[in-house]
Amino acid sequence: MRPPGFQMEPFFLTGRHGALFCLYLAPHGRAPKAAILYLHPFAEEMHKSRRMAALQARHLAANGYAVLQVDLTGCGDSACDFGDARWETWRDDARRAHVWLTERAPGPVMLWGLRSGAALAAVMAGELSGVSRLLLWQPMINGELFLQQFLRIKLANEMLSEGQSHSGTHGLVARLKAGVAIEVGGYLLAPEMAAALQALKLDHLAPPCPVEWFEVSPQGGSALSPASQGAVDTWRRAGVDVRGHVLAGEPFWTTQEIMECPELVTATLKSLEP
Amino acid sequence: MDTIGVVKDLLAHTLQIGRRADVYTADSPLLGAMPELDSMAVVNLITAMEEQFGFVVQDDEITAEAFATLGSLARFVDWKLRQ
Repeated sequence: MRPPGFQMEPFFLTGRHGALFCLYLAPHGRAPKAAILYLHPFAEEMHKSRRMAALQARHLAANGYAVLQVDLTGCGDSACDFGDARWETWRDDARRAHVWLTERAPGPVMLWGLRSGAALAAVMAGELSGVSRLLLWQPMINGELFLQQFLRIKLANEMLSEGQSHSGTHGLVARLKAGVAIEVGGYLLAPEMAAALQALKLDHLAPPCPVEWFEVSPQGGSALSPASQGAVDTWRRAGVDVRGHVLAGEPFWTTQEIMECPELVTATLKSLEP
Repeated sequence: MDTIGVVKDLLAHTLQIGRRADVYTADSPLLGAMPELDSMAVVNLITAMEEQFGFVVQDDEITAEAFATLGSLARFVDWKLRQ
């Protein structure tokens, strides 16, 4: 059942390596207040967070915003396998989606990203012209740490199937450096992708536009995590206008069960309204 | 500190099994007995323990023995805290 007030349009964009599956939501019968491009997170996080992304996109569209969701190369319903995914390709995918969106919904464009998608959004804010705001959900602060946590999944898999992990994250990183792709929980991690992740430090990516920075924490509270606060402070010292928001909720991009955080959906919309 | 109690809470929270964990004892089997405990759940549980207790779990400490039962996991935590 579709709530009234917005339309949904699935389509494919032409990407550098094949088709990119896109979903465009826009308010019915009126020009959108602004257009928002969503950049999803890494590997399994994308699947676990689908529901929250969909809820947010619908809530935004029902309240007058156009939203474009794109499956990056090697992800979701887009062309290629995850092993073919490259950070440079994802930047190109985002660029193409941005072009489509600005032609379809002229006006202010915002980039919205979750976890590694938030880092990608920050990168793209510096590369694309006319980005009016960043909406960052639980940004990935340190790509090297993120990579280590991702590689740990492989160790855990070995433990589950063989009783002992025999790889070590150091060994896996060395193999990646030597040009060997590593399979982690069904996802093939290419050495180039690992290298690109390792180089990502969010505090070096201060964007040229205001930022709404959202974090969820099971305890709630009002303080960002220390790591996040550090990045936010660095950005503020660089002159970026950052507003931090902490909501009570579970890390829905990684939880066992698919979870929703309605407070985050509400707060994200609210941050856009005057 | 009631290590078993704290570890039980972390387990219940991370695996989202809620009140089911109330009846768990030291002998309750974890690895292989809980379908929720897949590789991502193991990683999430390790991260939760690291953040709760402030230690870093090394790669070679991620063993089936440590995760065999609630008791073995609590003993692992106590051992880590003594390092």
